Amino acid sequence: MSRLRPGETCRVDFSRPLEFSFLGREMTGYAGDTVASALYGAGVRIFGRSLKYHRPRGLYSMEGESANTFMSIDGVPNECAETTELRAGMAIEPQNVRGDPGRDRFGFLDAFDRLMPAGFYYHLFHRPYALWPLFQSGLRRMAGTGVLDPGAEYRNGVRTERYLNADVAVIGGGPAGMAAALAAGESGLRVCLFERRGRLGGQMTWRVRDFEGEPLYRRAGALAARVRAAENVNVFTRSPVTGVWGENLVTGFAVGTEDDPFRECHWECRATTVVVAAGCMDRPLVFNHNDRPGVMQVGTAWRLARTYGVRPGKSVAFSVADDLGLEAAIDLDDMGVRIRFIADARESGQQGPEVFDALCDRAIPFFPGCAVSRAVGRKRVRGCVLRSLKGGRSRRFRCDLLVANAGMQPRIGILATAKARLAYCTHTHGYQPTELPPGVFVAGSMTGLRDPRSIEASGRVAGYGVAEWCGGRLKSVAGARAPAREAEALPGPGAGCGIIHAPAIGRGAKAFVDLDEDGTYKNVKESIARGLDVPELAKRFAGFGLGPGQYRVAGQNLAMIMADLRGDPVETAHPTTVRPPLGAPSLATLAGPGHDVHKRTPLHSELAGRGAVFRRAGAWQRARHFGDDPSCRDEIRNVRTNVGVLDSSPLGKFRIHGPDALNALQRVYMSDMSKARPGRCKYSAMCNDMGQLMDDGVVVAEGPGDYYFTTSSARAGDTVEWFRFHTRHDDWDYNLVNLTDVLGSLNIAGPNARRVLERLTRDNVSNQAFPYLACRRITVGDGVEARCLRLGFVGELSFELHAPASYVPYLWDLVMEAGADFGIRPFGLEAQNCLRAEKGHVIIGMESEQRVTLTDIGMGWMWDREDTVSKKVGAPALRACDRQPGRLNLVGLRVEEGAKAPRDGTLVVDGDKIVGYVCTTRSSDTLGWQYGLALVHREHAFPGRRIHLCHEEAPGQRVTSTAFVMSPHFYDPRGERLRS
Amino acid sequence: MSWLRPRRLWRPAPLERHYEFVIIGGGIHGLATAYYLARTHGIESVAVLESHYIGFGGSGRNTAIVRANQRTVENVRLYEEGLKLWPVLTDELDFNLMFFNCGTLNLGHSEAAMNGIRMLASTHNLVGVKSEVLDPQQCAEVIPGLDLSDRPAFPIHGGLYHPPGGIVRHDAVVWGLAKGASARGVHIHQGCEVQGIDTSDGRVTGVRTSLGSIGCDRLGIMAGGYGSAVAAMLGIELPIHPLTIQAMVTHPFKPFLHTAFSSGAYHVYANQTLKGEIATGAHMDPQVNYTNDATAYYLKHQAEALVELMPALRGVRFMRIWSGLADMTPDMAPIMEGELGYEGLYLDAGWGYFGFKSGPVAGKYMAQYMASGERPEILAPFRLGRFLENRYSGETAAVMKYGHWD
Amino acid sequence: MTFRLTCPVCGKRDVYEFTFGGQERGPRPEQDGLSAEEHFRWTQFRLIPNEPQEEWWYHGQGCGVWFRTTRDPGTNREVR
Repeated sequence: MSRLRPGETCRVDFSRPLEFSFLGREMTGYAGDTVASALYGAGVRIFGRSLKYHRPRGLYSMEGESANTFMSIDGVPNECAETTELRAGMAIEPQNVRGDPGRDRFGFLDAFDRLMPAGFYYHLFHRPYALWPLFQSGLRRMAGTGVLDPGAEYRNGVRTERYLNADVAVIGGGPAGMAAALAAGESGLRVCLFERRGRLGGQMTWRVRDFEGEPLYRRAGALAARVRAAENVNVFTRSPVTGVWGENLVTGFAVGTEDDPFRECHWECRATTVVVAAGCMDRPLVFNHNDRPGVMQVGTAWRLARTYGVRPGKSVAFSVADDLGLEAAIDLDDMGVRIRFIADARESGQQGPEVFDALCDRAIPFFPGCAVSRAVGRKRVRGCVLRSLKGGRSRRFRCDLLVANAGMQPRIGILATAKARLAYCTHTHGYQPTELPPGVFVAGSMTGLRDPRSIEASGRVAGYGVAEWCGGRLKSVAGARAPAREAEALPGPGAGCGIIHAPAIGRGAKAFVDLDEDGTYKNVKESIARGLDVPELAKRFAGFGLGPGQYRVAGQNLAMIMADLRGDPVETAHPTTVRPPLGAPSLATLAGPGHDVHKRTPLHSELAGRGAVFRRAGAWQRARHFGDDPSCRDEIRNVRTNVGVLDSSPLGKFRIHGPDALNALQRVYMSDMSKARPGRCKYSAMCNDMGQLMDDGVVVAEGPGDYYFTTSSARAGDTVEWFRFHTRHDDWDYNLVNLTDVLGSLNIAGPNARRVLERLTRDNVSNQAFPYLACRRITVGDGVEARCLRLGFVGELSFELHAPASYVPYLWDLVMEAGADFGIRPFGLEAQNCLRAEKGHVIIGMESEQRVTLTDIGMGWMWDREDTVSKKVGAPALRACDRQPGRLNLVGLRVEEGAKAPRDGTLVVDGDKIVGYVCTTRSSDTLGWQYGLALVHREHAFPGRRIHLCHEEAPGQRVTSTAFVMSPHFYDPRGERLRS
Repeated sequence: MSWLRPRRLWRPAPLERHYEFVIIGGGIHGLATAYYLARTHGIESVAVLESHYIGFGGSGRNTAIVRANQRTVENVRLYEEGLKLWPVLTDELDFNLMFFNCGTLNLGHSEAAMNGIRMLASTHNLVGVKSEVLDPQQCAEVIPGLDLSDRPAFPIHGGLYHPPGGIVRHDAVVWGLAKGASARGVHIHQGCEVQGIDTSDGRVTGVRTSLGSIGCDRLGIMAGGYGSAVAAMLGIELPIHPLTIQAMVTHPFKPFLHTAFSSGAYHVYANQTLKGEIATGAHMDPQVNYTNDATAYYLKHQAEALVELMPALRGVRFMRIWSGLADMTPDMAPIMEGELGYEGLYLDAGWGYFGFKSGPVAGKYMAQYMASGERPEILAPFRLGRFLENRYSGETAAVMKYGHWD
Repeated sequence: MTFRLTCPVCGKRDVYEFTFGGQERGPRPEQDGLSAEEHFRWTQFRLIPNEPQEEWWYHGQGCGVWFRTTRDPGTNREVR
């Protein structure tokens, strides 16, 4: 199909044809086309079918204001044809239709609308209830439009992120936005200008009207050139804004061109101030069959011709309500598009006599005070019915395109997300801000301005306004006031058009208020009749504004129509809440490159080389086990009978020093920390205010007011916060340093641990010189000084070496070399878990939970009951619950042989009553039987008690086993191995 | 053919100077309580006061998942009865609540999570509620498109499948209950903001509202996330923090997700609505507040989590994000209490994440409690006093750091 | 709505850099004679009217200081 040659306003490069396919048919578009303009240019008129009635739908808007032109593009559903730029080779399919959208087998539904009033499904299908699931699956089949393939990964193209900081974010690259950016930039501010289209200039880019001696598009072009050249102004095109959030955080995404290194880029801009110059869009005219393919917005027809060189129609009827509509009609006529007539809903008020002269010159019939009341034609517009708004006679015209609106409405989305207070303005007949959040400014045509000079001046006023707000380098105060004076002298906001009562609306036909959800004028009436009589309730009841177009098509009209039907003044009408994100970012773009933020220990590659299977645990990646035996029998046996080594680097490691260091320790630890001694590990634990176990570890005094201590890996990140929180009122003088990442550690454990260590150091590590719970500084290998702690979490003789992280791989090599003769091997978290459980050592979160206190799990011995002076965190709770009946207690279990083995999480029952659960249970090679650690009600928590374990895998399918309660210290209960 | 003759779902009523029972909060809990007061207990003088429009708060802002797979028996029993009420109410109210019995799947992403899941399944089955432990393959059969590989930071280890769960159309519940309550004589007053509570001699005597003073004999605070602010009018301290929880929907597409799923490790729940959108959410900001603010941070965070669980979702777009209030208690279990220091004062609050699924059943028992003055047995575990005895309900295992916001 | 807090050391920063620490309730009560009920009230029970409150925040992803600020729970904004 031939294209128009619109001249300099054209964005399409006809020398670069691009092949693509629609429904498998080969078609040609051009570089610069959007998918929608290319399809329209190729003769496609029906783009898809509507959600509920399966009515044919065509190109209505150019900015994705409805889902009419949502397509599947290269298998990605719900792509907006209007805003997606055409690329060669695209495979495009329509949605919600089988085969050709011109022939859809559900099209018959349109005839049954009378049976489907607003919210009809709430009153149907539920009696008898047994049939409801059937109806429901039928309804579900009709839901949605695009088809997502759950097996696909949609990994098309690179997604990146960008985090910006600016003094001012200007939203909208039209003349007002550009003027604002220049003014702010000239004042020395750092400006980011965001424009969703590919070019700056807004609607001026397609307007050719002569203004002060040059066409508007050239005026805009000159302004754009200045903006591009401005030093402090960063211009982002193809960058729709998704929202303005608290304190002027502006977010959006940039769509890459072929020259960009990304397909899409998520960006966030923290701006001190924001200038919103988002412009206007058509307010839809609500009339019968206003959704037919061939009914479109003024801007759509205009841009098809001027921007894309596509002939919008052969014979075009205009039913508009503002001067821009008249200008568009005249311009199209000049391009050789036949204008059948122009109806203007306004009786009078058109600006300037030159418009009438222009209409006369071109012999275009003009009907003031009239509007189209009906579109004729089923699959595309073949004509229309024009009526006087005062009633009276109607007249029928033939046309193949009907350009209709009820004037313009401001794009309020961005202001609404920024939480500006908006109110209906009875002059401009749009929502205008009555109160702006701090640092937010508005400019341009969205304030109702129509004159290009006024629009630019409003931008300059905003630009100098933000400069003043930011305390920027204003050239002079007088200089800043000049634009304001200049703006006052220019024409102010133009009068808008109020509600248009198209006669006979909804009678015998559908008049759409919302296209995406097929919401009609009649549905509004029905909502009100049900008592859902405010826009927010009608939205929820009948779906107005819930589709992909959101508030854009329905928002203002719904509020106006509802006020009108209720008989309330229009200014009382509140539109439905606009919710971000405005530009519908894809999840791929929001998700970005997906970096793994989990830390690796200094020994990560050494462990990986030995076949470690890693898990994310808290902030770390840790070796769970080695090789392919998740039960870790060999790792466990090796520690019990020989020697193993564990990478314990994520262990929390801290130094606290200062005059009040001991006070702080006394506050958070349950024991009397004044007993911490040099060279000796003091084990203790921290509780929260409810007495629940938070953390445990050892504390070593290193000098006066100077301590080294360890925490569990999971708590390392919270420990500084915790100390400081619980001492925040005390004004104590201490320093707390987190050494967790600075120091690595490894734990050599097993009966042969000392023999391995002896090969690494010349220091005396004999049992006499280096007894259980001692802490020494030893020199290892070629002079690496390490703290060595003799602990026994796994229940064996063990030495934990703490050394600077960069030396730890060297220590590891030394240990592996020294241990080679013994058959040393690494063990992982699961082996450690089994080893410590056999010993009856608790892991926080495994044997403790919200319902149990320190004393409940048998660790109350460490609590210094006498101390009330330190105000230990958790002590009052422990005191209160000390002898409370009915609490859960930690016990050991010996499971009877022969029965089904319990697993972690198996319930403990007394008849049908749950009295506890098994926290950790394993079949132990060491012990020769199945042991368990369980939390059970105090009444059952005494040695020798026979209890029942219950595996209820399906209702009524119960397998029980029996166990006996015993001390949880199953292995080496007297600790001889630890001390050996 | 009643669906073709639009009639008001609920009638406007004159504001009377005195009602026997006044309920603060026109959400699901308040309307259900009013409905049962009228229906079951034959009380004729009941008013529901709503400061915005009915269903404005949490009732209209949740992701509509219903289930009975809680951690403790006390909770499971209550929610199970709640689940069984959806079909019953649909019939009673003659209003289709669109209960979609699609089942729910909670994913486990570690060995420890699977231990917890096994315990949940046993607990549910013990009291006769169906739940089963699934392996990763079975999870993918229920939820197509799950990434079972090692690629996700937290690979899928299995899940808890709970067939009785599902989705209910949340707004329909509000409107249906309003319809049923209004038909039984309950007065529903929208745009009626409570500004103060009057007491005399230790008794509640009435409320001061934006529409005038209203006397009452018994007063129920059922204001969802705003409950703590209402209680504060009487100086009543509560272990409740109102926090915003965010949710969002994608563009609609043809249903492929026929089960609601959630993941603790990724902090995500998701289901595909009757309209074809994926409704998803779960992020909670930690600071107490009464706003309905959504954040850019969370939009991104949610996308990161979702595409890791289900790579196909890279191909969809977010359409709308919003938030509502969740009134969090330290043990994630509610507070239903009639002993608050004022005779005639009742509180139904602290539902946190679970206010929607519990609405009708909570209303049923709160009505019984308020009408009789005697605490129903099933509500015994939800006393306020448990927090003064350090007896948490066990609904969550998580140990808090400082308070319920962390 | 993302908002910002004023760290006394680092200045205005995004709220997601901070940890919330609850209402200011004064120093820990003296423990001699403290009843269980008093303790559990102090730790868990709060009065949260919809009006500005003094509260604690920790700049965890910044300088690591606990500080007090006054914020309005009705708007999520700091009140100066």
